[in-house]
Amino acid sequence: MSWLRQSAAIAASIALLLNATGAAAQPAFRPANLKPNISSAEAGIWGASDKAEAAIRSSADLNRDVQLTAYVKGVLCRIAPEYCSEIRVYVLDRPFLNAGAWPNGAVEVNSGLLLRARTEDELSFVLGHEVTHFARNHSLRQHENEKATRNAMLALQIGVTLGAAAAMYSAASTGSPYASSTIDSISRSAQSLNNLIYLAGVASLFAYSRESESEADEFGFKRYHAAGYQAAAAPSIWHYVEDENAASDFDAVRRSQARASIYMTHPITGQRIAALSAMAGTDAKKDPSREEQLRYRAAIRPHLAAWLKDDLRRRDFGQTLFLLDRLSEPGEDLGVINFYRGEAFRLRRKDGDVEKAVAAYRVSVSYADAPPASYRELGEALRKIGDKPSAQEAFRTYLQKVPDAQDRWLIEASLKSLETGGLK
Amino acid sequence: MKQFLALLACVALAACTTTNVRKVNQAQNVAPITSTRGLLVQPDVNLYVLTAAGMQERREDWSRMAQTNLAEALKAELSSRTKTLRVLDPQVSMDGRVGQLIRLNSAVGASVAIFEYGPLKLPTKRGAFDWTLGDGAKLLGEAQGADYALFVSANGTYASAGRKALMVGAALFGVAVPLGQQQIFASVVDLHTGRLVWTNVATAGPSADIRSAEGARSLATSLLKDIPV
Repeated sequence: MSWLRQSAAIAASIALLLNATGAAAQPAFRPANLKPNISSAEAGIWGASDKAEAAIRSSADLNRDVQLTAYVKGVLCRIAPEYCSEIRVYVLDRPFLNAGAWPNGAVEVNSGLLLRARTEDELSFVLGHEVTHFARNHSLRQHENEKATRNAMLALQIGVTLGAAAAMYSAASTGSPYASSTIDSISRSAQSLNNLIYLAGVASLFAYSRESESEADEFGFKRYHAAGYQAAAAPSIWHYVEDENAASDFDAVRRSQARASIYMTHPITGQRIAALSAMAGTDAKKDPSREEQLRYRAAIRPHLAAWLKDDLRRRDFGQTLFLLDRLSEPGEDLGVINFYRGEAFRLRRKDGDVEKAVAAYRVSVSYADAPPASYRELGEALRKIGDKPSAQEAFRTYLQKVPDAQDRWLIEASLKSLETGGLK
Repeated sequence: MKQFLALLACVALAACTTTNVRKVNQAQNVAPITSTRGLLVQPDVNLYVLTAAGMQERREDWSRMAQTNLAEALKAELSSRTKTLRVLDPQVSMDGRVGQLIRLNSAVGASVAIFEYGPLKLPTKRGAFDWTLGDGAKLLGEAQGADYALFVSANGTYASAGRKALMVGAALFGVAVPLGQQQIFASVVDLHTGRLVWTNVATAGPSADIRSAEGARSLATSLLKDIPV
């Protein structure tokens, strides 16, 4: 095992050396409305970002709701007024909790984040994190760091190779009977040292990325807190990520945050929560008030149904059901939420899920905001469990609610077969 | 062996540009483009510095300069062969069906680059060159009043000073360090049928640096030598 420990020690010192090479003095925040010099590396990065942004503008995922985009932009401007005029916000209908800032000031916000934030405070923390990536020039700094690190790795590897070549040459010129085995072992050592340099170098690039993320959390926190948002919201949204992952159907997702690795771009969620809780100086699991939650809900309500439908396409029903429970907490939109709870059970098709779907659709139709499809799916689920009279009633209500439904003929056929007993 | 000699001659002369044409063969019964109202889609150009360790760093100034030079050179080259020639800037036409066709063309072009010019071959193609954007391409022709469109994209790397020093040092030990290369991909789409009737990949020799106007002209001439319009 001692060779392993030795290798680890060597790798660690190489990593330190490479980090020292890459680390530049921390630049301040970028001045507002700064355009890069046309012959700089930054201009190259911006040019590539401009092309990506053109693709976003014509992307099918782009949510073209002007009001919603203006709302998100408004939150961003509240926490980053100095960059308000140069930042462009794009809401993308993508069911994953994520957002991203391009180096040129384009900010993408996924619907999966907007759906999972409970309050504007939680959303604003994530936006603060993203705007920090922009404000601190993280893309450019990572690029410069990678360039310096890779050059240093190359220099070290050339040094090792030349040193080994010189050693092999002198071993050969001794004329000793053991010369060839000496040369062999020098060559093997040089190769493994070069491999260590490579691995340590790559690990240091990931470490740099994690540092940027921690910095974005830190400055994002300061920014949104200074704008008057509640400190507890930052650790709170990360707690949610942990809890939703724990509720996943997939083992790999449930285990994803348990262990750190040197090849990770982001710090593990637990560390981020600890750091943010320390900054917030508060019990992280404090829930926001109902009023706060409802104020935010009003901003996303027009998209609630569409985004929940998208979320079901991920086919991680454990996570979607967990999300639905959380969305139910303030006690509104229960017609829509329970319809999609029913849909989650209908699509999951585990033992007993039909009954659970029936229960959820029944709750849904007891609220005024129930989508008419709740009656149709309730009818279908009741037909499956053999409750013919209730199924017929649900189908008839559906047809009353949507007299010109496209699938009217299908529902009428179901009703007929329920009457004649043709179908189960 | 012949190719190797040609390559060697190229290196020796340090002047020539190699091109590699693929086109629809006559047996596939494709009518030649008869009328010649051309559409030139502004070339997409990305040029990079190659750092000592081989990382690529995009240069916006070079990319823009080369795009302007290349567009001018292609325009000059095409206007002698066409009745009318229109130029389309894809950055301002990304919306609607035209934008979809431009993006479809990039996707098809990427596949052509991989499967016609790379080591991988699609078994289902059986050697046939029958790539197409579909007859929806008519829309682009009607919107722009053109019979065919020429799409061009260029990617290139140039060695940094550090990279050049490394090349010299490594050469002493018999190790070759590549100093960068510029490649241009061009395709002609028949806007009546949507078929790609001709593609070409040109690898620029040192005298065809598209960052300069003469370099771009020399490359455009080699690139379009066999264009079927």
